[in-house]
Order: sequence, then structure tokens, then C-alpha cells
Amino acid sequence: MMHLLRKELSELINKQMLLGLFGTLLLIILMGVIMTNTVSESLEVSGELHIVDMDDTDFSKQILSALKEDGYTIETCEKSDDLAQLMDSMKWDEAAIITEGFTKSVLEEKRAGEIYNVSALKSTTSMSAMLAENTSADAITEKVQELLMEQTLGDNMEFLAEPVTSTPFTVANGKEAQVNSSLLVSSLSLFDKLMPLVLFMLIVLTSQTIITAVGAEKSDKTLETLLASPVPRGHIIGAKMLAALIVAVIYAVTYGVGFLVTMVLTVSGTGENVDLGEAVTGMAQMAQATTALGLQIPMWGWGLVIVQLMLTIGIALMSSIILGALVQDAKGSQTASLPILVCAMFPYILSMVSDIRHMEGMAQIVMYAIPFTHTFAATSCLRFHDMPLFWGGLAYQAVFLIVMTALALKLYQSDILFIGMPKRRKKNET
Amino acid sequence: MNPALDVQHISKAYGKKQAVNDVSFQIGEGEIFGLMGMNGAGKTTILRMLATLLHPDSGDAFIAGHSITKEPELVRANISYLPDEAGAYRSMTGRKYLQFIAGLYFKEDAEQKACVALGEEICGLGDALNRKISTYSRGMTRKLVLARTVMPKPRLAILDEPTSGLDVLNSLDIRKTIRRCAEEYGTAFLLSSHHMQEISTTADRCAIMKDGVFLAEGTPQELLAKYEAVTLEEVFERAVTGV
Repeated sequence: MMHLLRKELSELINKQMLLGLFGTLLLIILMGVIMTNTVSESLEVSGELHIVDMDDTDFSKQILSALKEDGYTIETCEKSDDLAQLMDSMKWDEAAIITEGFTKSVLEEKRAGEIYNVSALKSTTSMSAMLAENTSADAITEKVQELLMEQTLGDNMEFLAEPVTSTPFTVANGKEAQVNSSLLVSSLSLFDKLMPLVLFMLIVLTSQTIITAVGAEKSDKTLETLLASPVPRGHIIGAKMLAALIVAVIYAVTYGVGFLVTMVLTVSGTGENVDLGEAVTGMAQMAQATTALGLQIPMWGWGLVIVQLMLTIGIALMSSIILGALVQDAKGSQTASLPILVCAMFPYILSMVSDIRHMEGMAQIVMYAIPFTHTFAATSCLRFHDMPLFWGGLAYQAVFLIVMTALALKLYQSDILFIGMPKRRKKNET
Repeated sequence: MNPALDVQHISKAYGKKQAVNDVSFQIGEGEIFGLMGMNGAGKTTILRMLATLLHPDSGDAFIAGHSITKEPELVRANISYLPDEAGAYRSMTGRKYLQFIAGLYFKEDAEQKACVALGEEICGLGDALNRKISTYSRGMTRKLVLARTVMPKPRLAILDEPTSGLDVLNSLDIRKTIRRCAEEYGTAFLLSSHHMQEISTTADRCAIMKDGVFLAEGTPQELLAKYEAVTLEEVFERAVTGV
């Protein structure tokens, strides 16, 4: 039994398996570090309130003092009517503005006083929405309730339940719109989340298809037959790439449509409870807000995204052609796609929770070095007018693809295809 | 007229291991040349260099007058290569496979059809050509891939161990096909083999290789006479061991 177990383990635990395991471990650790940094950032700001007191009364000052006593750090600034400029100059993710007449409404007229919940939207990821949550407005509302309870305990409970009316504002690209940032992110992320998913699937499917196909051709020696035939080698590579691309697009479109339908159904409810008119009105309002904030991607922008998508698939295909050529057997095919999988998974997962554009230091350099990253960040760049990064990413991808194509062509003309890398050349090849 | 193959001082090394060392030989139209040698002698390396899959470190070879180092595309238009234990696309039927290969060699529909018809006739698989290759036996697959190798009527067909792993009858069929194609279409054959019997019955001339060099070269009769042997096995043993 032990004899057999040893044999089975020696088959399963090999260099390739350990390499894959080590790579995955590194990936998980690196992901953890990046995620920790992102979450820490959000936690750091959670104890900080950003409040602009436009009312400037004893009551509004009392609210701020009480909040300070509760341990909040309060950052404030001069009155400003330009919300976008205010958020930009103060570098705030969220803020609450106590409007003029707030005290009069609450204390004299016994009706809800108005505050503005302002969110600065910097990306359409869930983490961004979390950072832009209206912490300050919520804190003010709670504190007003407390103060009123102390002053007028037992009097007009209905008013005490909601003494503050919050009017949501979102600022982005130097513009403002009266819209809830979370709802806006939800409506935008419907596509912004779908695209990375489809892109990830495209990369994984195309790379695995190509690597498996090349690996099988090598082990069956049909590749030697093809390469010794009077067909230009560029045609052989091109046909393989095109076929893999077509199959991947079929998969991607099918899955994409499936996911889109699922997401739309999820967003709109089960069907029976949906008020269609309300849903359409809501969508129209979101579309208006998107346009007002300059978050809408124009047609030429979508054209560029498609170009970037094609470049990404091209890079995945060329990388796979190269990796497939280096594969020695069927087992090798399974692990050969690991580098591409890792390079696609990294930006994909990060793009789901954080905005790659806002990373810092080494993490950002590593992410930008991965050519796929730029496509995952493409819609974000276009929505938030980060054009230098977009064009830089596009140019980097184009150069990367050219280099990979040249390498692939060179490889298919070289001896490496049949005798492996120098250190792995086998004597019995003769 | 150019010989089908003219190899001039060709050499190839893998790192420190000299796989082929300064080898020269020629093959004429319709001639069958057999390469014999033990594993690691350098046979496959020579075949792969002539098939333009590997690059020689020095020397050159000319196929139908075209250099394998300077005109690989023209060389590929004049050769057909059958690797050792080569398979075929298992999801295709035998006929589809022949059609696919014909499409690599000919652009015109009529040429392709003639090529496929010849392939069908050479392989002799009949109705089995309509079946998927995944259902074929080893012998059937070998007959199919040999047929696809010779059906474009190349100037030079390069066959690496064409009968390895086959039973006696299938091996005999393959040898007969090689002889027939050489005689009828003038195709020159360069084949490697471990089987001395195969070489002695199929090849017009042969060479014995060891450590990347030719130890002996000539017709089987010449070699038998030179080594005062009765069989090629004895020739091989005496050439390789020097006894």
C-alpha cells in the first residue's frame, strides 16, 4: 500500500505542481496586501467627518461640538456653493452640508431640517461607493435626534424620528448632480462589472484553447507535419489564433448575455413586484445624472474600449501560442496557462472591489506592468476622464502585442519548438 | 537535373552534444535512402533539419536545388515529412484529413481532388475513410499518414521510422507503398529505421550512423561485401562496434 501511495504522490507532486502552488500562494498574499491597504484606507476615514456649516447658528455649532465630544475628528471649511470644487479642493470622499435655515426649521418650525449628502465619486467600484458613503450626514442626523430628545423629550415623536432631510448630491469630473451615489454606482456597475467578467472569460478561454491545441499538436506530432508543409508559418499561427478567438467570442457572448439577463432580473426584482414605469423613470434619471456628471462614455470611447479588448485578446493569444510551444506534454498544458490566468485574475478581482487607478507604490507598478490591467481599468479611465492613463495603457498594450507577435513568429522559426529551451534539451532527441 | 537531395557537410549540436557532425550524402530521383543507427545516433536530427524544422549549425542541404537554410519555403514545397509515431487529427474522418492535407499543398480544386484520390488509393482504407480517425487502429493510422505524405508527389519524402510499432503485414504494406511511389512517381525517399530487414528490402542505398557521423554508406550489397557479412544486422554490428 505504502509503495503504491509513494508512487501516486510522486506522480502528483512534481515541479509543475509546486510551481503552481507557490505562484497561487504568492497571488493570495499579494491580493491580501492590496486588499488590506484598500480596506485600511476606508477604515481610516471612517472616524473622520467632513461638515460644512452653512447655517452657522448656535444649534449647528452645538451639533459639531457634540460630535467632537463623541470622538469624531471634524474637518470643515469655508462656505461654498460649488460642491464639485469644494470636494476637490478638500480632497473629501464624502461630506455633509448643513444648509442655511436648518436651525430655524428644526427648532422653530418643528419640521425636518435639510442637509446635503455629498459624495465624491472617483470610480464605479463597490469599494468606491463604500468610501463615498454618507458617514457625516448619518452622524449629524443621529446627533440632532439626541439633542432634540434631550430638549423636547416626549414631544412630537413623529418629528423626532426624522428631524433631518438628506438631499443626496454626487460630484464627479468637476460636476455635480442631485443623485444618490450608491444608486448611480449600481446603475453604472451593471455594465462596468459585466465587462471585466466577459474579458476575464475571454482571456482564460482563449489561452486555454490555444495552449491545449498547440500541446495536442505537439504530442500528436501533427504540428511537425504542418510546419513542414508549404504553408507560411504566420498563416498557421494566425489560423490558430483566429479559431480560438472565434470560439472565445461565442463563449463570451453567450455567457455575457446570460449574465446580463441575470443581472437585469436581479436589479429589477422578480417581475411581479416591479413597477415598470417607476423602473424606466429611475433609469432615465440615472442616465441624466450620468450625463450631467460627465460619466457617460461616448461612442468613440466604446470604440476605443473594443480596440483595447482586441489588443488584450491578441496578447492573451500570442502569449498562449508561446507558452503552448514550450509545453512538452499534456500535463504541461494544464500548468502552462497559469501565468496568463494569474495575470488576468489579479486585475479582474481587484477591479471588482477597488479602482486600480487609485493604487499606490509598488502595487500600482506591478498592476500596470500586467498588460490586461489596462483593459480592466478602461471604462473607469474613460468615465473619469483619466485619458493619459488610458492612452498610455493602450500604447503599452499595442507595443506588448507587437513584441509578443515577433517573439511567437521567431519561436515558430526556431529550434526551441522541438528541442525545448537550452537547459531542457534532451540527448535522446537525436 | 538537380538530385532530389544534396546534403553538404551538415552539422548540428545540442549544447555540448554533437548530434550530427559534418555529414554529406546525395539522393537521386526515385531513390530510396535508408538511415540506420541506434537511438541517439543523429537520424531524427538529420531528418528534422531537412524538413526545415531545425536549423543546421553549419553546412547546407539542397532539395530540388533549394537551400534548406536560405530557401526553406521553397524546400517545403518540394518535401513531405512523416515524423516518428505521427498521429492525425482524431476528430476528422480519414477522407477529411486527406482533403485537409491536400489543401496545404494545392490551391486548385482539381489538383486537390486528384491528390486526395491518390491518397485514398494509396492508403487502401476504403469505406473506413468515412470513419473518424479516433476509431482507427495503429496500422490504419500509419497507412493514412503515409498516404498523406506521398500523395502530393513530393520530390523528397522524409520518413522517420515509418513502420515502428506495426505488425509484419502492415509493415510489408507500408514498404510496398514506398517502393511503388518511388517507382511510379519518381519520389525520392529518405527513411530512418531500426529494422535492418526493412532497409535491406526497401532501400536502394543506405548509411549507418553513430554519434552523428556516417560510419558506412552504399547499397546493401556493397555494405555486405565490404563487411563480409551475410545480413545487414551483421554489417551494422561490425560497423558500430568496429569488430
